[in-house]
Amino acid sequence: MKLPLSWIKDYVDITEDIDTLCKKMVDVGLEIEEVVYLGEKVTNVKVCRIQEITQHPNAERLLCCKVDIGGEIIPIVTNDHNVKVGDKVPVALHNANLANGLHITKGKMRGEESWGMFCGGEELGINGDMYPNADADGVLILKSEAVIGQDIRKEVGIDDYVIDVSVPANRQDCNSVLGLSREIAVALGKTCRKPDVSFSENDVDTKDLVNVRVLATDICKGYYMQGLTDVKIEKSPLWLTCRLAKVGLRGINNIVDITNYVLFEIGQPMHAFDYKDILDKTIVVRRADDGEKIVPLDGKEYVLNNDDLVIADNNRAVGLAGIMGGVNSGIKDDTGCVLFESASFARMNVRRTSRKLGLRSDSSARFEKGIETYTNNLGLSRALHLAEELGCGKVTRGRIGYGETAENKTITCSLNKIESLLGISIPNESIIKILDSLEINAEIENGTITCVVPPYRDDIVRDCDIVEELIRVYGYDNISGTLLENSQITCGGKSEINMDVDKLKNILTGLRYDECIFYPFGGKDLFAKANVQITDNKKYIKLLNPIGEELSMMNRELAPNMLQCVSLNLSRNNGALRLFEVGKVYLADELPLNKLPYEQLRLSMCATETDFDSFRQDVLQVVRTFTSDNIKLERASSSILHPGISADIIINNEKIGYFGKIHPKVSGNFDIETGCMYAELCLDKLFEFKCREFKFEPFAKYPSVTRDFAFLCDEDVAAQDILDEFCSYNLVECAELFDVYRSEQLGKGKKSLAVSVVLRDKNKTLQEKDVEKLINKALKNIMEKFGVKLR
Amino acid sequence: MSKIAEIKSSFEAEVKSCVKISEVQDMKVKYLGKSGELTALLKEIKNLPSEERPVFGAKVNELRNFIENALQEKLFKVKELEMQEKLQNEKIDVSLTSVKPWGALHPITLVENEICNLMIAMGFEVASGPEIETDYYNFQALNIPEDHPARDMQDTFYITDSILLRTHTSPMQARLMEKKQPPIKMICPGKVFRSDSDASHSPVFHQIEGLVVDKNVTLRDLKGTLEYIASHLFGSNTKVRFRPSFFPFTEPSVEVDLTCSNCGGKGCSLCKGTGWIEVLGAGMVNPYVLENSGIDSGKYNGYAFGMGVERIAIIKYGIPDIRLFYENDKRFLKQFVK
Repeated sequence: MKLPLSWIKDYVDITEDIDTLCKKMVDVGLEIEEVVYLGEKVTNVKVCRIQEITQHPNAERLLCCKVDIGGEIIPIVTNDHNVKVGDKVPVALHNANLANGLHITKGKMRGEESWGMFCGGEELGINGDMYPNADADGVLILKSEAVIGQDIRKEVGIDDYVIDVSVPANRQDCNSVLGLSREIAVALGKTCRKPDVSFSENDVDTKDLVNVRVLATDICKGYYMQGLTDVKIEKSPLWLTCRLAKVGLRGINNIVDITNYVLFEIGQPMHAFDYKDILDKTIVVRRADDGEKIVPLDGKEYVLNNDDLVIADNNRAVGLAGIMGGVNSGIKDDTGCVLFESASFARMNVRRTSRKLGLRSDSSARFEKGIETYTNNLGLSRALHLAEELGCGKVTRGRIGYGETAENKTITCSLNKIESLLGISIPNESIIKILDSLEINAEIENGTITCVVPPYRDDIVRDCDIVEELIRVYGYDNISGTLLENSQITCGGKSEINMDVDKLKNILTGLRYDECIFYPFGGKDLFAKANVQITDNKKYIKLLNPIGEELSMMNRELAPNMLQCVSLNLSRNNGALRLFEVGKVYLADELPLNKLPYEQLRLSMCATETDFDSFRQDVLQVVRTFTSDNIKLERASSSILHPGISADIIINNEKIGYFGKIHPKVSGNFDIETGCMYAELCLDKLFEFKCREFKFEPFAKYPSVTRDFAFLCDEDVAAQDILDEFCSYNLVECAELFDVYRSEQLGKGKKSLAVSVVLRDKNKTLQEKDVEKLINKALKNIMEKFGVKLR
Repeated sequence: MSKIAEIKSSFEAEVKSCVKISEVQDMKVKYLGKSGELTALLKEIKNLPSEERPVFGAKVNELRNFIENALQEKLFKVKELEMQEKLQNEKIDVSLTSVKPWGALHPITLVENEICNLMIAMGFEVASGPEIETDYYNFQALNIPEDHPARDMQDTFYITDSILLRTHTSPMQARLMEKKQPPIKMICPGKVFRSDSDASHSPVFHQIEGLVVDKNVTLRDLKGTLEYIASHLFGSNTKVRFRPSFFPFTEPSVEVDLTCSNCGGKGCSLCKGTGWIEVLGAGMVNPYVLENSGIDSGKYNGYAFGMGVERIAIIKYGIPDIRLFYENDKRFLKQFVK
């Protein structure tokens, strides 16, 4: 909400400087977005009087002037020929700055001294709504009463501040100069004057002009009309257009300008109809027919339906309620009789129609914030007052319309409530004084405040709202901190899953992986690059209103975002990468969603400049942190990964994740030239296999026996199968692979696996013959099962 | 007898020149060994008259003790010397100080962990809730009915008419209060979503929600709690200021400013010259919210706060652009590990 300081001064006497004013406004809850001094860019420009004009000796198109800047005569060379001796004009002096960014310095023009430059309206940042003829080309000729030597900003009305205030969403009553003035008066401890709404009425009865029927009472809570006869359409006076200019509006004509003025001043959107266009003296507020068409003042045709609210005469729609009037009934140069409309339309209705049609106006923006019936009459009266003051026409007798009258309401609040919420008490006299400044009539009796709240404060409904009003004016600085000294002791802490995640992150950072955080959504293109299965596109949860297609689908895999990040880092030559993310994927049973989806917690890990074996160590290290259950690695089926260099991680027959080298096609898509290792694990599942308990086991009493073997086998024999076979014997404590060897001698497609087997009997020292027996049996099995030979 | 003196003096001369362990060992053999000089001397005892034998024997023994002690002492010294010499030769370059850094936790995690740990010490439980949320928990339960202007404050990503990406962590207030009666002390960190994106806004960001519901909870307790957090995050001189504000789920509602950690409140570019930085919104839980979740608002009060994690990290670590958090450039990530 843009608030010109000069306009507030109509309602509150302000002697404070701008900084103090803003600070006080902030203190009562008005957030200041920006304070703009309108004359900020225009410095060192003064009013001067032209004393003498002569032709420039060396340039035909230039004039040499002598000007009086208040006690000093200086030379100015100009190429503007609209000046004459005796004119008062703005002159930018040495080191002046202008609104268009120009910096002026003393100098010579074709050999003649020029100590500055004459200015036009544009260079001062003003237009014809702010100063007479400021739109004209050439030098701005000032009014004859302008004071020579005075700062130009004072003369042209830009010695003013516009405060951009962010109004809290529950304070629709503050979206106006009047509403903010009320708050400012409270903040400064001053009184706020009432707007002048007086006017005299003529003999034309409004009832005889028009008959108003409100049919859509559910979405129109108030609708009032009163008219003007003998209307003269002309330009508004400068004081009015100047104010509108400061809030960003251009002057149109006196009637339209009044509606805009009232919108900003009182907060009531107004509309003016040309009476002669209203057929059968009838205004109907009704829902549009499906397919009904309207051409509002923007000149485009819109097709409406039954959800949209229109203002109609007996024949056709003449306005889109709260948004824009119809071109068929707008104010024209020959308008002779005007009907002013002041209404309350339901905010959701205005909002929906405005969004649907893509048609916005100051009026609709205001209605979207909510307009209570309270301002309907106030706004209409203010408009009529201004119309009379400006001499636009004569006000018709009586007001017609429909609406609930906004009433004061009574709310009680106990003094105990104040203390129990705030932890402090506020003296009774302060309570009364504060509420009084807020126009809330209050009495304290038996520890209870009875408050009569004005109708425009629809945000105040129960006792805690009164407490808030009190403390925001009394001052939050009166609250000093305490640390829950009267509360019960509670047991805090993290949930088990959060602790597991912490532990996981500690392990991963210990393995030198850096944590990443990504958006949990992406788009079709990204997912396709990662080669994830998007053929079954329907499984993705999609946003109805994404920022863009590339951020429109909730993740079902963490890989795409991670790979994109790897790609970005490599393109920036950031060296070897080891990255992880703990994030969610969103798995829907059914789409469109009819219940909340399963949000599965996952881990993704990615490393460049490493090999499968080292990466496998890292992944298994993570898995082993949480479980000692049986882990199996099987050839992976993920389309993201290289089919030959990847594995699924299986715990107790359940797949919990996969890892391996990314598919060459995927590395190509992401420009990951050297390839990289990637893993993705379902943490929900992994944590299920967690074993927390430790139990002491006595040390082995009897010695172990170690035997090493080398097997010659085909490349596709899995070493783990041979180890598992050894481990299936009770006496085998463990079996490990300690070398893999390939050579020409062994032959193509062959490898040699060196395995070390440790045997131990828990109950006695192993005998050589028992060892031999077991080993022979195991070797025989292994050789038969896997077609390997002992070397 | 003169033989004894002779041996002693030749021993003394010889032991002095010993510098190696092996030389000492050779001397031991030479003087004390089976065919050593003392053994030979002792063999001569039988050639002496019997009355001289005890004296001679005692003298020889005395000499033996003397030699043994001297050799022991010499051996100790020589070992020490040899050790010194060996150590001299084993000197290596020890000057290099660089290490491969540990993996880094993301700064968002660092801030979350720091705040969670502070709050756990005060008896808060750490909760987490769904990111895809119902309209009910995100809005209605929090006193934001369908046609309320407050819905415009938060640009919401919708999935269906009634399912959306949560716009704040506050739905966890309602979810927890439905399940649990006071006393309640909860914090809930997590991702939240708003449909705007520019240099200072990201469509995804992180919040930490705080909620206390009990008898006798006041606005002073809220201020005290925030002072406790602020002093730990930004230093013990940090002051907390409340400004009136509006949130549908708290009443009274406040915007909370901290003294600028960059300039200590004097005014700088970070705080735009005000000396204060806005960090979070808070207030006393609106009785409607308590009642919606089945808690007796006549009996219990509560406070709630919600802070932006990125905002805190930006101030605490001096990060210039919110987009850096989600780009995950290694040069960024590695700055958060020592």
